[in-house]
Amino acid sequence: MADLRTASMSPPWEGLEGRDRHAACLVAARSGDRKALDVLVAELTPLVWHVARGNGLDRTTAEDVVQTVWLALLRHIDRLDEPKALVGWLITTARREANRTRRRGATNVELPAEMAEKMVGDDPLPEAQLLRDERDQQLWAAFHQLPPRCQELLRMTVLAGRAEYRAVAEELKMPHGSIGPTRGRCLSSLRKLYDGEAGR
Amino acid sequence: MMTDKQSAEDDEMMTQVARLVNELDPPPPGLIERTQFAIAIDDIDIEAARWADDRPLAGVRGGMPGTITFFVGDLTVMVNVTRTGERQRIDGWLVPAGEHGVEVRVADHGSTQTTADEGGRFVLTEVPRGTTQILVRMKADRPRTVVTPTVVL
Repeated sequence: MADLRTASMSPPWEGLEGRDRHAACLVAARSGDRKALDVLVAELTPLVWHVARGNGLDRTTAEDVVQTVWLALLRHIDRLDEPKALVGWLITTARREANRTRRRGATNVELPAEMAEKMVGDDPLPEAQLLRDERDQQLWAAFHQLPPRCQELLRMTVLAGRAEYRAVAEELKMPHGSIGPTRGRCLSSLRKLYDGEAGR
Repeated sequence: MMTDKQSAEDDEMMTQVARLVNELDPPPPGLIERTQFAIAIDDIDIEAARWADDRPLAGVRGGMPGTITFFVGDLTVMVNVTRTGERQRIDGWLVPAGEHGVEVRVADHGSTQTTADEGGRFVLTEVPRGTTQILVRMKADRPRTVVTPTVVL
């Protein structure tokens, strides 16, 4: 009896990593465990964020899309066939939502002048204003000219370089420290774009 | 076949990219908490609404009241926010009209509820300011709840 109580007090995902941990959280979340859902949001939001950003959304829109993706998970939580496929599901959903949002933006009707005036400047890379180094600005601009696939892959690589994402990286078949052929091609493209930006 | 030089250049490029991504583009502070708040709802059949692209006139995000619109499927909701001292008044209009339930949740400040009139209009007064989410409970053959991402009002 005492053993049972101890067992029920430590959450089922404790001590687990990566795919197993997220699957355990998802299963617990399905039975109404809010804490489990919060753990997933805390640990996987950076991943969803970088997929949204890698697919061409500005920071404000990406923030909305992150929330939309988690709301979609809430809606579909009982319908995900394979809890271990959660990370893949989040990535696919974030991509789809980002594309949908971007398309809508592109076909947006013209704003009345009064509204348009209130629009903030449409600098596509406002965050780059923080960069004092010109070469950094050029690299950041070049990075955003890469196709979304490459931007996303390189962003995932950055995440994978962090200890807490190692298990997620393995799940995405992106072992730390190795640059695969696709990533190599993305980096070559980036170098060409960067040289173009720098006018070399 | 990749040469050592290429591979060293790739590593160097990757290091620079990682530095910029980490420095310039981390998830915004508080995004995790705002998302946890946004999904802490009991409704089961939910549908995520999107803020319309007229949102920049949602200088609302910069803390200035104004009009924002969100939609999902054929439902559009316009919301006008007016400051009333420390609090604010929210005037809303649902199209197509219906006597649907409307709830405004504000993080750390509970929630305020009302029902739209038959013209689809609703008013909420004395709404606290903060991280805000709007829910519309659709009275329909298939009851469902339309939920927005949070917006800081």
